[in-house]
Amino acid sequence: MISKIKIWQFITSVSVLIAVVRSNYIISLMNLWFDILKSLVNEGVNIFSIFDYSLIDSLFSSLLIFIIPIVFIINSRLKKIFSSQLKLSNAVLTLLMLAFIFAPLITLQNPEFQKDIRVTKLLQPFSVVKYVELKKNIQTDFNELQILKSKVDEIIPKSYKNEIVYFDSSLITNSFKYYQTERISEIELSKLKCINGKPVVRTKMFLLGSDEYGRDVFTRIIFGSRISLLVGFGAVIVSLLLGIILAFIAAENGGVLNLVISRITDLFLTFPAIFLVMLILALFGSNVFSIIVVLGFTGWMSLFKIAKSEIISIKSKEYYLSAKLIGLKNSKLLIREILPVIIVPVMVNLIFQFSNVVLAESALSFLGLGLGNNYPSWGAMIESGQRYIEQSWWLIFMPGFVLVVTLLSINELGRKISKSFNPTFE
Amino acid sequence: MMKSVILKPLINRVLTSLLVLFLLITFVFVLIRLAPGDPSQKFLSPKLSPELSAQVQKSFGLDKPIYIQYFAFVSKILTGDFGVSYNYRQPVLSVIKDYFLFTLIFASISLAIQLFIALLLAKASFKNQGKVIDKFLSGLSVIIYSIPSFVVALVLIYIFAVKLNLLPTSGIGTIYSDENNFLENVKDRITHLLLPLITLSIAGIVVFYKYLRDNLVSTSNQTFITNLRASGYSEKIIYSKHLLPNAIQPLISIVGIEFGLLLGGALITEVIFALPGMGRLTLQAILNRDFPLVIGCTLIAGIMIIVTNLVADLIKIKTDKRLVKELIK
Repeated sequence: MISKIKIWQFITSVSVLIAVVRSNYIISLMNLWFDILKSLVNEGVNIFSIFDYSLIDSLFSSLLIFIIPIVFIINSRLKKIFSSQLKLSNAVLTLLMLAFIFAPLITLQNPEFQKDIRVTKLLQPFSVVKYVELKKNIQTDFNELQILKSKVDEIIPKSYKNEIVYFDSSLITNSFKYYQTERISEIELSKLKCINGKPVVRTKMFLLGSDEYGRDVFTRIIFGSRISLLVGFGAVIVSLLLGIILAFIAAENGGVLNLVISRITDLFLTFPAIFLVMLILALFGSNVFSIIVVLGFTGWMSLFKIAKSEIISIKSKEYYLSAKLIGLKNSKLLIREILPVIIVPVMVNLIFQFSNVVLAESALSFLGLGLGNNYPSWGAMIESGQRYIEQSWWLIFMPGFVLVVTLLSINELGRKISKSFNPTFE
Repeated sequence: MMKSVILKPLINRVLTSLLVLFLLITFVFVLIRLAPGDPSQKFLSPKLSPELSAQVQKSFGLDKPIYIQYFAFVSKILTGDFGVSYNYRQPVLSVIKDYFLFTLIFASISLAIQLFIALLLAKASFKNQGKVIDKFLSGLSVIIYSIPSFVVALVLIYIFAVKLNLLPTSGIGTIYSDENNFLENVKDRITHLLLPLITLSIAGIVVFYKYLRDNLVSTSNQTFITNLRASGYSEKIIYSKHLLPNAIQPLISIVGIEFGLLLGGALITEVIFALPGMGRLTLQAILNRDFPLVIGCTLIAGIMIIVTNLVADLIKIKTDKRLVKELIK
């Protein structure tokens, strides 16, 4: 039954599922879109001051949740590309991709959100915490921009929220008394959101527990997929361009150029990649761009070797010679005549390269050289969880498990593709 | 006669290695000089007065033009002088010496474990081809191959140190262990190094196992094995005298690369278990911008890979005469 499902059907149905489950949130995001577009038309409102990363992120994911299923249903070419049967490895990678795109819709939380650390730190998976909400201050001066801002603040998850108070247990007398591990505090009842004179107590579940700052591990894992996949794709593209272009130059020209490029390849193969990456990151600082470039620069050698030997064998084929004699430019020769022939070995190599990059990124974050300080990353999560290994196993094993499953799925995909094109491959 | 014919390609091979080494030195130099930041300020104190900073720069030769620095750099390295570590205030080689000794011992033990266990598993897998144990081992190897070493290390620490409280998690020995007798010391060292060794070896075991098993299977399908079997040799002799040597042969160059990488330092293992090895030394040197030490460590790592590759190639030629013909061509 499960094996009959095709990948595009899986993508579509999961997106629709997310859309249905989060329909309330998506509708409010749509309202926000409407308001923003309205104020764009109204001149004199400096709307760009309210834009930040998480707002743009949420807005675009609310659009994509409609666009992706529709595109997959309408476009028959996409259907064809994603028509292979759903396997466990495909499913994991598809879910990761969807987590990558729809992270704010899936979690409805900011990955950095923390409040009342006394109560929320180092909670076990599936623990439930009670909270009450404070009434908002009613603003007196109404300005169009301020209305929009307050709407955005209400809808888009922020890393800190004053209006929520987490507590362990509470006592209602004249005022609302609550305990936060040994500390007792009080709030006047009039400040709380109430129904029938009693404060509304809600609960929040930490699905995979919380870390030492009271941040939700599940949210951070979902957002962490972004760094891994982004760096993975970026570095693979850098390797692809470098490897193919250098291979083309070396194979086409031969002679001295070939010799020089091959020696440089040897040099890169000699240099222990992890030291090179560390050296460059420590010297030039680490941000998304530098990590992508560095990991791309250390991973093109095997691709170069594969592509070069293939191009050399293509070079003497008649179709290639005639295409060259017609006068095609080098770039067209590469894209039209060579790429279609070598695409399979190159793709298999790229997939394994992708898994290497994801691993390298998490290892760098683990060593403190990655992006973990600015953005949640699996490696950095494992690193910071190390200190709490005695009491909080989930801080290490949850991101570790996701990382291992991801790597396994990528390797499995690569193995499957190379097997289907090359049956003798084991 | 034969020797002089082999000699030329061999010299060629060594010269290529030296060229790569030279490129490596240049590359490291370019990278370090390109990086932003003033080492004298970073190192001594950010509040250093400009005069004092200039004096410090002068004493380390950082004020001269870049090409003079480069030539001084290369000629010093070629004479074996890696300079003085900014951080340790000692010649780089003497800093590296202790760390390298540890790495050498650690890597050698790990490599021996890897080869030994891989051989045992491959034999078990080969003898039971297609049975449950073979499939189990193959499946397990695929899974273990995908697990990053830091996850392996932390799982091991969680099981053996946190839950079972059997083994220590950091360092290479207990403090004041000198007061114990010899046997207790040995036991102390072994308990400290057990988890790091498992962490470091597990990935290598999987790789060697996969290669060995596949090589054994493909060799056993060749006609000369069938011939031997038909001649009535016992399976034991066929395995140990004919199958195994032929299956190990292609593994030599992989072992060479693996050993070279290990000698450069097992970075993550050393960091997690706080071991005094080359990997951690390099990481610390990089984070401290200790230029001479970084250069020293990186070059040692590069040289190790070049040398082990060369040695592996030589061993291959020594054991397989067919390769000599290829080399001469």
